[in-house]
Amino acid sequence: MNKRLLVLLTALSFTFTACGGGGGEGPEVDDSGNTIVKILFHVDAKSAEGNAYKKRIDEFNQTYKDRKIKAAATYRARTSGGADYEKQLIAMQLDGSLPDIITFDAPNCASYADADLIWDISDALTSEEKGDFLSLNTYQGKLYGLPIQESSAGFYYNKRLFSDAGINVSSYTVENPWTFAEFKDVCRRLQQSGVATPVDMRLDATKDETAPYLLYPIIYAAGGKFVSEDGYTAKGYMNSQESKNGFQFLKDLISANYTSYAIGATDFFTGKVGMYLSSGWTIPDLDHKFPETFPNRDSWGLLPYPKEVTRASATGSWSYAVTNNGVTDKTATYELLRWMSSAESTTTVTNATGMIPCRKSCNPDYPAGSPERLLLDQLSQTGKERPVTVGYPQFSTSFNSIVYKIKDGDVNTVVENETNAFQEQLDRIKAEH
Amino acid sequence: MTLFAIIVFIILALIFGLVVFFDIRKAKKQQQKYHLGRSITAMCLIFPACLLAFFFILLPILYSLGYGFTDYNLLKPSVAKFVWFKNFTDAFNEILKGGKLAMALKNTAFFVVLVVPLQIILALVLALFCNVNIKGRGIFKVCFFTPVVVSLTVTSYLWSELLSPSETGMMNSLLGLFGIPPQDFLNNPDTTMLWIVIVSAWQGCGYQMLIFSSALTGIRKDLYEAARMDGCNAWQRFIKVTLPGLKPTLLYVLITVFVGACRIMIQPMLMVGYQDNSVTLSYYMYQEGYAFRHVGYSSAIALLMTIFIGTITFIQRKVLGDKK
Repeated sequence: MNKRLLVLLTALSFTFTACGGGGGEGPEVDDSGNTIVKILFHVDAKSAEGNAYKKRIDEFNQTYKDRKIKAAATYRARTSGGADYEKQLIAMQLDGSLPDIITFDAPNCASYADADLIWDISDALTSEEKGDFLSLNTYQGKLYGLPIQESSAGFYYNKRLFSDAGINVSSYTVENPWTFAEFKDVCRRLQQSGVATPVDMRLDATKDETAPYLLYPIIYAAGGKFVSEDGYTAKGYMNSQESKNGFQFLKDLISANYTSYAIGATDFFTGKVGMYLSSGWTIPDLDHKFPETFPNRDSWGLLPYPKEVTRASATGSWSYAVTNNGVTDKTATYELLRWMSSAESTTTVTNATGMIPCRKSCNPDYPAGSPERLLLDQLSQTGKERPVTVGYPQFSTSFNSIVYKIKDGDVNTVVENETNAFQEQLDRIKAEH
Repeated sequence: MTLFAIIVFIILALIFGLVVFFDIRKAKKQQQKYHLGRSITAMCLIFPACLLAFFFILLPILYSLGYGFTDYNLLKPSVAKFVWFKNFTDAFNEILKGGKLAMALKNTAFFVVLVVPLQIILALVLALFCNVNIKGRGIFKVCFFTPVVVSLTVTSYLWSELLSPSETGMMNSLLGLFGIPPQDFLNNPDTTMLWIVIVSAWQGCGYQMLIFSSALTGIRKDLYEAARMDGCNAWQRFIKVTLPGLKPTLLYVLITVFVGACRIMIQPMLMVGYQDNSVTLSYYMYQEGYAFRHVGYSSAIALLMTIFIGTITFIQRKVLGDKK
């Protein structure tokens, strides 16, 4: 009875899918006999990053002309949070028009792999090639994505304000980072010297992925975790005492007025705030946009994430994945994948974006003591990926809610409530299997 | 696609067949001659509109209705299972235990109760103001209407900046002149929805103002003259002449503003985010369906919401529309 009703109710829906075409077993071949490999990028073709991809695609087509492989690229700029880009992907999956390669935000790896949207590429690269990447996108022991570039974050600080407060932070390095207590002490001394808001922890950035990306390492640094190995259990992890200690650290900063939710977007850049938690994308702004506060690189510095129990720092950016689009012969697709994830492509893209290369062999020539070197060292030594779970969007929402609510609520209650809500979502996902 | 086209054709042919059948029966009852040729011409003329309505109204409703009874995950449509009323019981449980859906209901109800009268009164006041014969009223009309043509996204970001909790935010700078400390207007649970009501009413009232303006010009001038001769003052003329003259328009505006208010989503989404003090029914539905990918559950909520809005609209029409 159930099945009959289901067929009746959803027949129309699946008719679309059934009639949508979809790939056959072989790849698409054009009139000139070229095997076409389609690739979808998440950026605008006219952006600096888009131009870098375009350059590498053109070079691929030139190089593989004789081997009759041709790459066809589509560019669809993602909106904030990438939701529209994902909608486009899902629409393509439904109507059977998925390209051969897509770019995707690393935390989505588990859900895309679980949904068979992306293809197991464990056999696409040798173990030596895999070892060259700083991180890989894996799920349940299989490789599903290759990073395009890498990112890390840290605490930018105003050297003049630090000097006025008599604070010396030169001993805080990636190898020997500061502790939570030392972090609070620096804030205290900044405040005593007249800096009303010592640090911008980006607590206002809870509308999208910014706050989870920048703040999750704090919880790891406190010895906490978010989910179990299989990604389906949050209870006992997100609400463990260690995780709560991490959130309590944030609450302590708020309670002592070391940070707040009401910091203006340019307050650090205009010298009102002592420290600013952000990713590598802030470096160009500090170099060029605020010469009155930061005339040169001697006027600002970058500090690593603090540690309590363990060292941890933010990682992850967008990656390449091969899709499960019905084409089983992936030979040409793998050629393009290797090309786009090669050291040359990585260098071209990171030169355009200013982000950190994801391959060790790129060996960027960052001077010792430079912020770029600190980010790279931090990434390779203490980088810890965001939780691998099919329910990542739900995690991100719960994390944002905790950060949003701890200003008014007790950490224990807020974390327990949000963990329960997150666990319910994970249970629902599990039941859908 | 051929199969799909055939299905669409069969459905439309069935609908037209039924229309013809009932037309013939009606004609027979009224002892009139049925003109098949005229019927076919009429149907050909309405066919494009029917096709659009089928694809953009009927089909999505049918889809949503079907999905509401399944556990359809956006990323895994092929493994959707029929789960009977599980999505609906989940929704009721979520309300009973005071979860996010309960918050969404509370916030939406608060928003609707405040924004509907506020927006209508504002629109009516602006329309009456623009109806007075003063110099430059055209400019006022343009100014009042401008927010309507500006995208909701843009106005939401603009208001977020105006209401920024930072002491450098525009509103806080203004308060600072009077020695008032910076306020977190949007993130204070007591004021979040209030500000969203104000922003929404400001943005939306220009459109209703235009509707009221055109309705005001349709009220006969001699009625006002007669009222004056009877000794009515301005307030009495408004109550006895203007309001009754605006009644059909008022009903239309009430229903459209009410339905629009029930669907509030963009402003809380862009100005606050997915929090207990800002989540609304549409936002909850969107988050569950798109961000969390639970299309089945989200469709069940959509269905409940449609039934609720439909019922209230029906009651509004009955209470306000049928009185002579």
